[in-house]
Amino acid sequence: MSMRSQGTTLFSAILALVATTVVLQLWLLTFSMEALLRHSYSTLVPAAIASTVLFAVNAGLLRYVFRFDREARRSARR
Amino acid sequence: MMQSNDLADNPLGCAACEEQSCQQQDFPIEWEGDHYVTRREMVKFLTLGSGMLAAANWATALGKRFVRRDSTEVKLLGPAKDLEENGSMLFRYPNEESPCIAIRTPEGKFVAYSQVCTHLSCAVVYDKAENQILCPCHRGVFDVNNGTPVAGPPTRPLPRVKLELRDDQFYATGWEA
Repeated sequence: MSMRSQGTTLFSAILALVATTVVLQLWLLTFSMEALLRHSYSTLVPAAIASTVLFAVNAGLLRYVFRFDREARRSARR
Repeated sequence: MMQSNDLADNPLGCAACEEQSCQQQDFPIEWEGDHYVTRREMVKFLTLGSGMLAAANWATALGKRFVRRDSTEVKLLGPAKDLEENGSMLFRYPNEESPCIAIRTPEGKFVAYSQVCTHLSCAVVYDKAENQILCPCHRGVFDVNNGTPVAGPPTRPLPRVKLELRDDQFYATGWEA
């Protein structure tokens, strides 16, 4: 399997994963808003922490995409 | 030198892209190409959105300081005799922008709630015939004894105002948790 077709499959999977985490974050935000209006504040900070963790996962995946591209560029030069 | 430029323009060795430079790929002249979004761009865009959502979540968590109902202001509402049995009275608490409703139930119990419906902020009214609080906009119904939603679209209870009776006068003294 060539590096390009590997990358295509890999990026499709990463895209699906990132999209799923964004949907999860959207759900967390709506849940937080609802909790804020209900005046139940105990869940707000854990929801924000969970959302930050999901963002960190997404940022890590994006970093991986950049690294993969760099590697692909290097191997193409060889 | 020429070869290294070619590699920089087409790092993955895409056969179809070989004829185009990076600039041509980024700013295509065809409409189809202009609307084409690569997986990498989509991942970048979604990650940016993810960061904004995380920031919004933190803003919500920190926003509780601004919406917390912890007013302990004591406000005179009027003489208790003005509120007849199975009747209601409107007042504003703690400021002029916050409408509230005080109700004397058929059992003689005094209760007061925010008049703002928790569904879409319409003004709720007391339904004497059914002894319930009704939101006429979307037929939302709240229990008169504790303000919990019992029918219709509202899912959150009405915020309850603490009432005190001193020398036959009604006072609002804060919000119940």
